[in-house]
Amino acid sequence: MDLIDLASTPEGRRDFVGQLHDVCEKLELDYASYASANPVTGTVHAFTNYPDAWKSHYMEHELHMKDPTLKAASRSIAPVDWKRLEKDTNFSKVFHQAHDFNLPDVGLTIPIRGPFGETGLFSVSSTLSLPNWKKLKSKVIGNLQAAAVYMHDRVMNSETIMQTLRYPTLSSREIEILQWVALGKSQQDIGDILSISPRTVEVHLRSSREKLCAVTTAQAVGRAVSLGMIDPG
Amino acid sequence: MILVIDALNKDRFGTVLDDVFKLRARVFGERMGWDVNIQNGREIDEFDELDPAYVVSLDDSYNVIGCARLLQTVGPHMLSDVFYDILDGEPPLRSVTMWESTRFCVDHNRLGRGKDKNSVSYTTSELMVGILEYARESGISDIITVIDPIMDRVLKRSDNTPYGYVGKTADMGKVKALAALIDSTEERISRVRAFAEIQGDVFVSEDEVEANIQPPIHLDMSDSLREYCFEQLESANSERERAAARALQQAIAGMAQSRRGINA
Repeated sequence: MDLIDLASTPEGRRDFVGQLHDVCEKLELDYASYASANPVTGTVHAFTNYPDAWKSHYMEHELHMKDPTLKAASRSIAPVDWKRLEKDTNFSKVFHQAHDFNLPDVGLTIPIRGPFGETGLFSVSSTLSLPNWKKLKSKVIGNLQAAAVYMHDRVMNSETIMQTLRYPTLSSREIEILQWVALGKSQQDIGDILSISPRTVEVHLRSSREKLCAVTTAQAVGRAVSLGMIDPG
Repeated sequence: MILVIDALNKDRFGTVLDDVFKLRARVFGERMGWDVNIQNGREIDEFDELDPAYVVSLDDSYNVIGCARLLQTVGPHMLSDVFYDILDGEPPLRSVTMWESTRFCVDHNRLGRGKDKNSVSYTTSELMVGILEYARESGISDIITVIDPIMDRVLKRSDNTPYGYVGKTADMGKVKALAALIDSTEERISRVRAFAEIQGDVFVSEDEVEANIQPPIHLDMSDSLREYCFEQLESANSERERAAARALQQAIAGMAQSRRGINA
């Protein structure tokens, strides 16, 4: 799994990091970062306003592979206060190193689940004492949710990510089958038409659903239509 | 009391979650006659695989007496992907500050009438307070909830009238369902609390629940069988598979026990 620093792209330098600074300044936070794993390729795209020294250390040691503020937090629906992750064995591994860089271990991560099944993670941290952090948190949590979804939308609409999302690599057989589904054919019918077993049809459909990050076949057809891969039928 | 179970702590509360799925099977499958998929006495659907949060109501003996399931509306959720009949062809609401609540239910077998602590009425309100306070603390301002007309009347009667509805009332198997909107403002929370006379913190600590729930069943079986059961549980890829593995484990443990009974 690769980690790509979006700040190294021209667009990122201009926008992404500046927005993190703005959020931190407005909401009295120390650091902020955003990361999202591309649901198709698994690549993590991220940007942060943490000091460069920590950033290079983090990337060099591939800390994103074990960082619980990414891994564990992405499975919650609610903001995850890092306090909740302390029992995770990887928490101390990552934050011991952060401590050496004088970085705080008080913070929270907001997971955003997108319509493509992707997850964006917006994290903020603070040097405040725990009681003061609690007060600040309840004051700014609504703003943080709004900031999180804003960042997520910006990143998801940026070229790097949308290119892979826009063109999930479906095989011609998968497209062919989805097209027949869109025309209202049953799996049995499609099997007969293409001279393959209904089970083979099902396997292809399952794969298409996963590639399109769809829960149901109807949803997969909808996405394939909106991506221009098949005709609406 | 209310316990929130999600992907981060569900390993500690496997038996509680299992009871949630069993309660849902009884309520939605048997009592309400919804068109739901029940296997091994547990109602589990594809949205249970998406790491939702479960708000669970427990009685003083830590039995599950109510539950609801929460998902973000920006990601896949029931109204966008299953209940689209309700939306009448319109796109679903998607907002980062709105969660969807589904499978809201309380246990009519364990709970009585009236308004005291072990009543359907109290538990319904407490579960509602649990959902709203958990949402509020997470920066969530609104809940969209898929309910049946009976639940809608219950909400109205308990000073928790939805502020609006989305789409239309749609047929769901033998019954109807509709999508109601509820805000998580202090005003509403205190109204619901006042109606049911709920005082103090409704949330129970994870440690307290863990210390009081049944320890995992003692498996009186051969090492190889125990190992096999453990492997089945470990390799389960979905909630459905996990539930089946637990049911197998219990069945084998039960067989071992009854065999001992015969021998004696």
